[in-house]
Amino acid sequence: MVPLNWYLALSAVLFTIGVVGVITKRNVIAMFMCIELMLNAVNLTFVAFSRYFGDVTGQLFVFIVMTVAAAEAAVGLGIIIAIFRNRESLNVDEANVLKL
Amino acid sequence: MSAGRRDFVSFTRAGFAGSLRAGSFMAWTIIFFVLFGGLAIGCALSMVAQRNPLYSAISLIGVFVALACLYVTLSAPFIAAVQIIVYAGAIMVLVVFVIMLLNAEEEARRPVRLRHLIPVAVGLATVLIAETAFMLTVRGTSRIEPLPSPASEVGLTASIGTGLFTEYLLPFEITSVLILMALVGAITLARRTQVLGMTADDVLNSQALAQAGEARGIIQSGDTAATGRAMAREQIEQGEAAQPSPDGKEGE
Repeated sequence: MVPLNWYLALSAVLFTIGVVGVITKRNVIAMFMCIELMLNAVNLTFVAFSRYFGDVTGQLFVFIVMTVAAAEAAVGLGIIIAIFRNRESLNVDEANVLKL
Repeated sequence: MSAGRRDFVSFTRAGFAGSLRAGSFMAWTIIFFVLFGGLAIGCALSMVAQRNPLYSAISLIGVFVALACLYVTLSAPFIAAVQIIVYAGAIMVLVVFVIMLLNAEEEARRPVRLRHLIPVAVGLATVLIAETAFMLTVRGTSRIEPLPSPASEVGLTASIGTGLFTEYLLPFEITSVLILMALVGAITLARRTQVLGMTADDVLNSQALAQAGEARGIIQSGDTAATGRAMAREQIEQGEAAQPSPDGKEGE
């Protein structure tokens, strides 16, 4: 069996890639997808712990995280469409109305 | 139920090769981990590297599929199926739909600000990687041993359902409320007519305003709708056409 550390390392790598994407990307849809990647990295940690401790709770958390991700996708894409309708751009640098 | 699963496992073990022992079964899980883990990392890197959001979305689907395969090796078949159905199926279809709806083209290449901080970032990343490698290798191996694979019922649909409807019933019900709120929020956000009266954009978009502008001579009749809209917006911003005709307001 693969050591638990390997799964944690893989999850950390995926999460870091997601963070890098959120920081470097300027397209709001690309940032959204990077957030999804980070959620999935955490899900991998949950499932790995659930397997190694023999406890189903981790997988229930994954289930709830997926629900939140689905809700986030619906609301987030609605916001993206609203931004695009008002600014006619997907660049987050141009959505700075609240900036002083 | 467990008998059938045990039969399946033993069948799989016998099917891989003629003389598979328990030790080589562990070797298979390691091979699968390296394969799908590498696939996940590669697709994730590709997702960040791509400039076209559509290609990023396809790469992200690759990450989801690879993670689903890893969930299967972690004996979580239900989560693996939900991963494919909900993530790769529902969420990514929604994302791809929005990308194509908004016609999101390539990101404009922009100059890198804070260029002088790049060496600092590389140095800090190196330190972080070194720390992580130290924690994962030098500080000792994990003492957590997994339960023997076929004996565990954890991860099957029945155990997840039992957990969801007994111990975690309240969080489960709260997620349903959350989904309902997301539904209402998404409809409210994406609806074209605003609830709190018309916004300036709605006024600008209305056909009646274009007609009014044309009647006043602001817009030539030969202009396209886009230029007409832009010209009308200019007029509005200059305050000359701050009050569109009553037809324009009631047209929507």
